[in-house]
Amino acid sequence: MWGIRGRILPLSNQPDLVEDEDDVFTGRVWIEDGRILAITRGTRKGPPGYRDAPVIDVRPNLIVPGLIDLHNHLAYNTLPLWTEPTQQTPFEHHNSWPRAKSYATDTTWPAYALITACPEELLAYVETKALVGGTTSIQGSPPMNRPRDGWLVRNIDDETFGTGRSDLIYVSVLTASSATLAKRANSMRDGSGFIYHCSEGQRGSIVAREFTDAAAAGCLQPTFVAVHANAVDPSVYADWTNSGAIAWSPFSNLWLYGETTDVPAALAAGLTVCLGSDWAPSGTKNVLGELKSARITADALGWELSNAEIVKMATCRPGDVLDRAWGRQTGRLQPGALADLVVFTASSRADPFRTVLRATEDTVRLVIVDGIPCYGEPELMDQAQATHAGPGPTTLRVGGRTMALSLTRQKEPTQTWEFSEVIARLEQVRADPKANIEQAQARMALFSGNLDDQEAPLRIALDMPTGEGPIGGLPKDLDKIVVPPLETLTHDDQWLASVRDRGFHRGVLDELASFYG
Amino acid sequence: MAEHKPGSTVRETQDRDPRVGEPLREMLERRGGRSGRERRSVAADLDGGQRLLVVDHLILAIGSLYAHLPQKRAAYASDPVQALVLLRRRAANLTDAEFHAELSLIIVGLRDAHTRYVGPSKLHGHVAVLPFLLEQYGPADTPEFMVTKINSSAVSESSFVPGVKLLSWNGMPMDHALRLHARQETGGRLDSQRSRALESMTNRSLDYGPPPDEDWVVLGYRDESDGEVRELRLDWRVVYPGPVDSEVPPGSAAASRVAIDPAREWMRRAKRLQFASAGERAVDPSVADAIPTLLSDVLAARRLTPEVGYLRIWSFDVGDDELITELTRLLELLPSKALIIDVRANPGGLVWAAERILQLFTDTPIVPVRFSPIASPLMSRLAESPFNRLDLEPWLDSLNAAVSTGELHARPLPLTDPEWCNDTPRRFHGKIVVLADPNTYSSGDIFCAGVVDHAIGELIIANGDATGGGGANVWSSRMVRDALAGLDDQLPSMPAGSSYSLAFRRLQRSGVSDGLAVEDQGVAGQRYHMTREDLLSSNQDLLGHAIRILIPTAEHEEMR
Repeated sequence: MWGIRGRILPLSNQPDLVEDEDDVFTGRVWIEDGRILAITRGTRKGPPGYRDAPVIDVRPNLIVPGLIDLHNHLAYNTLPLWTEPTQQTPFEHHNSWPRAKSYATDTTWPAYALITACPEELLAYVETKALVGGTTSIQGSPPMNRPRDGWLVRNIDDETFGTGRSDLIYVSVLTASSATLAKRANSMRDGSGFIYHCSEGQRGSIVAREFTDAAAAGCLQPTFVAVHANAVDPSVYADWTNSGAIAWSPFSNLWLYGETTDVPAALAAGLTVCLGSDWAPSGTKNVLGELKSARITADALGWELSNAEIVKMATCRPGDVLDRAWGRQTGRLQPGALADLVVFTASSRADPFRTVLRATEDTVRLVIVDGIPCYGEPELMDQAQATHAGPGPTTLRVGGRTMALSLTRQKEPTQTWEFSEVIARLEQVRADPKANIEQAQARMALFSGNLDDQEAPLRIALDMPTGEGPIGGLPKDLDKIVVPPLETLTHDDQWLASVRDRGFHRGVLDELASFYG
Repeated sequence: MAEHKPGSTVRETQDRDPRVGEPLREMLERRGGRSGRERRSVAADLDGGQRLLVVDHLILAIGSLYAHLPQKRAAYASDPVQALVLLRRRAANLTDAEFHAELSLIIVGLRDAHTRYVGPSKLHGHVAVLPFLLEQYGPADTPEFMVTKINSSAVSESSFVPGVKLLSWNGMPMDHALRLHARQETGGRLDSQRSRALESMTNRSLDYGPPPDEDWVVLGYRDESDGEVRELRLDWRVVYPGPVDSEVPPGSAAASRVAIDPAREWMRRAKRLQFASAGERAVDPSVADAIPTLLSDVLAARRLTPEVGYLRIWSFDVGDDELITELTRLLELLPSKALIIDVRANPGGLVWAAERILQLFTDTPIVPVRFSPIASPLMSRLAESPFNRLDLEPWLDSLNAAVSTGELHARPLPLTDPEWCNDTPRRFHGKIVVLADPNTYSSGDIFCAGVVDHAIGELIIANGDATGGGGANVWSSRMVRDALAGLDDQLPSMPAGSSYSLAFRRLQRSGVSDGLAVEDQGVAGQRYHMTREDLLSSNQDLLGHAIRILIPTAEHEEMR
């Protein structure tokens, strides 16, 4: 057992812990075996044995539940923001942009190079990118050939909690058939969750029927997460009486379609709205960016959406949705919940929700996943890492700071993996994608066992549409694959500048820069 | 009455010579396959459970992924899936030899050289050979059979020389022996079966079929020196021609775009091992006016006359860019007026290679042939798997639609991007004749289809009505297994090194023959009966025939 002391915004719904959901107080979070054992106010005594337990004091900084990104596509998250140069008007729907001329060359091909030639380094980089933004759980893990529980960020798609069960959460990025939807409806009746990308596009476009197809199949259940659902007439949200959730990605929606999900209507219908950054080609770098995008979008559209409600869209709201499938809470700090939390820089009197909403990568001080310190300021990481066995952290530069990251190779959990090695390998592949792809293909061909064996080389796949291109999706001459420079881990000036005058947000997202000044 | 000459049996004194190999009989005995009911088995023992697994793999592959299943059911009035189901019930009660024999029978019954079962043979990579090459000439109804090459390292009988006519095989008239053997061969037409059988009378890959039933053959032949009929007993021997290293890297995108008869490559190498060496006594020992090429394993070129060039393409197992570059160079050196392209016995290779070179010979935009997988629920699941989407996504919509449209196959799409087929300028502007035969297979079929369908030249078929009729893109069991990874349908690995190859996407022609199937049908051309002079004198009559088509006024003598 160990503890962390600070100003706590637990977002708990347990009356014996908080007076209301927005309660904030100074106290200690007690952690044991990856779970929150107790939360105590002030100097009140902790659970049995607490006097001997180490406690890290982060006061006056703010301790909140780890952020949850409920919509992403991690395999693409080294890439820059993408636009099709010839596209003059917002895309109609999700089948429109994969047909753009530059789509495959700018997204599928470079992503393919990295997933093929250096899958583990790719995952290390993109998961680090999520951690840097205070994310502790993320949806959109690329399909892979063997289960992967617990590494850096909690992967919502893959998480089995050591059970090996693959039926906790189902995900479909592509439009599913009615039969598949019906099957998923029955899976949800058996307790599974289902995250379904549907009805992504302009309001009234043809893809609106994807949501109604899901409804007809029986999917509108409490464990159903409709990703986007921005093409549907908001009145249909009311049909979802046994309400589940919508994953809202305002940045991506505005970037591609110039409009977004009608969040007030969804909330009025009793739906849970959660946030997701979506992928790097049309999304923010992490969910901290998406919190701000939500604020900007709500303000631009005149919605009365409080900072508290927006912050909850990335914490307790998705935590509740996942709890329905997982049987474990990860979006609220309370006894029994998963010990996923983040510490943000804050003054003792700061508004906690405003603090979180305005937080940047520079104000993330410590990120804990499953009770394990994963990322943070070196001093805090040193203190926190003393609470559990494991190799020392590696260091990396994030913005203007040197930060510590607990990183090991999946097959060498007792040995530190230097982040510089991750970067070096990614750059090696960037420098010569063709040679590295061919070497990786040859290595894979040499493996004679089943691909889902634990000893099999890691094999991951792309989850987004492959786009228009040659049959087989790739250029015949792999030399034509160009992998752009790795996007940095932060919403830096270069990225913010790339938002301006591009995409179809009509300047709304330009406002993001004001949060990072 | 044939005369047996004692002492004419091959002396087996050079067993260490790789070109001679080891007698099959001894090898079988040494490997423990000589006694009792197991006498003919070279397979490693499979227990009952392993046999079930083998059959389950094949039921899944043939029943749910095999591109030609509807066609084969119709063409041969048979149900291979039901046959496999029945075999599964009895599998554990059979001897190893019986099991493999029955399994081979079912798979060979598909008459599809793409779709082969590779048993857990202890002789992987080995080829059973007789030390001579047998060829046929004359009209189809009265064929004659001639020995055209002899591995002199393995044959000591002085009267058995290239050019002798074979009269009998184990006491049977040659033609009858060939007909009997052809029943065990792949090939969807009689001429293609016979053509393959003629080759496998003396050359059999032990990966793709059982060893010969007999330990030796007794050949009846006419001694050309005195006109006497003699007999010669020759042992079947086993050679190892070395690993087949495809030019297509395994695991690459190109690896799933191959159309080849996998067994034939082993046989081709065994032929080279035996006959392309110092011990060779060939009808055609030298070739004048040959132009050296860096791709000598797949290409040969020479000037036949000042006006006519000759280009031999042995195989399409070569990188397409590499092939185009070398062909471009060779075409500069060959006569520009007319060209004979010889693809006889070409077993196929990379589809891209066969299709992209067509543009070198025509201004007509090349429309590549198209392929479609079978529309089955499993194929839909394969196409939906994120691991297979780069390869199969273009077919996904039509696979899913097939449930309601009733289509047997997904929509046909090219494997070679049309842009790639039209990205190089024409390099040859003269007239063209293409020589093929019923052993021209798979990507060889595709090349010939391209020649005919784009009016590039005339197609001549030696000793047959059409090319071999290998109308599919072929996948290995390893590729199928990898594609199934992550699906509920995946099975444990096939046991004891057994495997299979599978016609995965069915081929349809394009252009003026749009939609026509190639499987079994092949590509029809002008029939030509090989002559005795052809076999004795470097295809002299055949080439003369081609030259007369190319340059009607030319004298055949010019070629000489």
